[in-house]
Amino acid sequence: MVDISALFGQKKADIEKLTAAKDISGLIRALHSSDDLYTQSQAAKALGSLGPAAMDALIRALKKKNKASRLVIIQALTEIRDPKSIPVLIDTLKDESSEIRWEATIALGEIGDPQAIEPLITCLRDHDKHVRYGAAFSLVRIGWKPPNDEEKAFLFVGMQEWKATWLIGDSAIPALTHILHDRDSNVRIRAVESLGELKSTQATPALIQSLADENSEVRWNAVLASQKCGIKLMYLPRGLSRRPKLKKNPLISGFLNFMLPGLGYSYLGKWWGVMIFEIDIFGTVWAFKYLGEEFTYEALLPIYLLLALHGYYFTTKMPEPSI
Amino acid sequence: MSFSLLGIFQKPDIGALQQSRDIPALIRLLDHGNFDTRWRAARALGMMGNDATVPLLLAIQNPDINIRLGAIEALASIRDPAAIKRLQVILASDEINELRWAAALALGEIGDQTVAPALMSALSDDDRYVRYGAAKALEQIGWSAETDKDRAFYYIALQDWAAIKKLGESATGPLIELLKERHPAIRAQIVEILGFIGGVEAKKTCEKVLRDPDGNVRWRAVLSSERCGVPISQLPLGLSKRPRTGPSIFGATLLNFFFLGVGYDYLGKWWGLVIWEVYMLLIVLGQILWDPYMPFIIAFPITTLFAVHTFYIAKREWTLSV
Repeated sequence: MVDISALFGQKKADIEKLTAAKDISGLIRALHSSDDLYTQSQAAKALGSLGPAAMDALIRALKKKNKASRLVIIQALTEIRDPKSIPVLIDTLKDESSEIRWEATIALGEIGDPQAIEPLITCLRDHDKHVRYGAAFSLVRIGWKPPNDEEKAFLFVGMQEWKATWLIGDSAIPALTHILHDRDSNVRIRAVESLGELKSTQATPALIQSLADENSEVRWNAVLASQKCGIKLMYLPRGLSRRPKLKKNPLISGFLNFMLPGLGYSYLGKWWGVMIFEIDIFGTVWAFKYLGEEFTYEALLPIYLLLALHGYYFTTKMPEPSI
Repeated sequence: MSFSLLGIFQKPDIGALQQSRDIPALIRLLDHGNFDTRWRAARALGMMGNDATVPLLLAIQNPDINIRLGAIEALASIRDPAAIKRLQVILASDEINELRWAAALALGEIGDQTVAPALMSALSDDDRYVRYGAAKALEQIGWSAETDKDRAFYYIALQDWAAIKKLGESATGPLIELLKERHPAIRAQIVEILGFIGGVEAKKTCEKVLRDPDGNVRWRAVLSSERCGVPISQLPLGLSKRPRTGPSIFGATLLNFFFLGVGYDYLGKWWGLVIWEVYMLLIVLGQILWDPYMPFIIAFPITTLFAVHTFYIAKREWTLSV
């Protein structure tokens, strides 16, 4: 019989009863359905005590799609600490979802098996800061010692121990350069700043790249950092000129305003552009119905031309986006 | 001309142009689609010596920003004092901060002592790049500050906040002047230091900054005002005088009354336009089925209700954003 209350999570699952009945699927359901960490960990422990059959069921459940339930299962596997789960967790380090990858790095650290070291080192180069952090944390936990300064730098970058990277010197450049494309602009700022603190000419190619970053604070910090690495100041304005420009094309807004009156303004980011567009459609339909087709065309064409011209000049008059 | 058209597809031979000293062609390449070519053209022009000064000074007046930047860069390596006057004009009055910055750096490269006053006034430019460039250029021409006030401007330009703190009250004036800075992070930093330095002027300013449009800057001002001795009971009143930065409540209400949904759009709700589409569709349908005016007579009582709703949500969002 299906336990409906457990399905809807209205009643706390009775872990003891489920354990006594060796109800593996019931326990896995309890993992998903309950919101409180205590019941979840009880269910995980119970599953751990049920031996290989339970492990197989959990690993099978891990291959399902739902992200939230997979996170719970990885947590349960962490709690059970069965060496059998290690290959599966290592596979999970390549998952699409950064949350799953992060959770898996932590799980491997908790289980503490040296098999996980190599895959975790790869995760230090993940593009997500959480995954890097989890990997670094777990590597330290397993007792990994970086074999060289370059690896040490990746570890510190993962930990976001910026000041520690400054002391490493040139060997920190690959690790810091690696995160210059991080999605979080704060990470990029810290990376740029740290490259500056290395005070090395080797860091200049990376810093020149960052002068064209899309974020204005990253660019500004790249300017300050470049001065510590000996980039000639006079080259900087040109370096910054490569940044993505937000300047709009006047021809596009003019054309849009002629064909779809108002949408030229939408293209420029004006909230009222769509409103003009709608009013135009409304007006056209209305005029077609009550004033006749021919008259409508004659009256509207000059208006569209005016809007097109205005869209064009309005765009050319917009200020050059500043640095 | 055909050359620049070809240049879109292939890399032009800058070495050859440099050898034949074809200055106009090199200047045209400053606007080339490829960054590397632009850069090398500027470098080649910089090696042309004083012959290139006059054409480059003309190129500075080109409307294209890449050509202007490249020309300034080339003038900086030629170091012909004849360019100083034009560069000073750009530094003092060009609208584009990038060009003012480049001009400051170029003046430093040319290295003539007479430009010190122009660079000093650029230390109070409202753009951080220009200020930074001016400070670095002053270093380059061997300038050293005579008064504490100049020193304060110089350190602010370099963002050397520790050094500014050491200057104490003589930094107050320059700090207050540079509150015009558009980057909230820098305004916040300035207010923090004003709180640290203290004094009557700083106190007055901190009170004013309580009305800053940026939330973080206002919060810094709260902390600094307290340090400067503004009674804490006065702070809420000071904060309440801040300008309205969000959308206008009245505007949103009126828009939703006449153009149902656009008011929501104006408040930043994505579904505003959906409502507006549906509303327009119903009005048009109504007009086609009945007559042109009837739909509006029915619509306005309904939009009035929506307008009231808009008024309340706009007001709530405004009060939430202290």
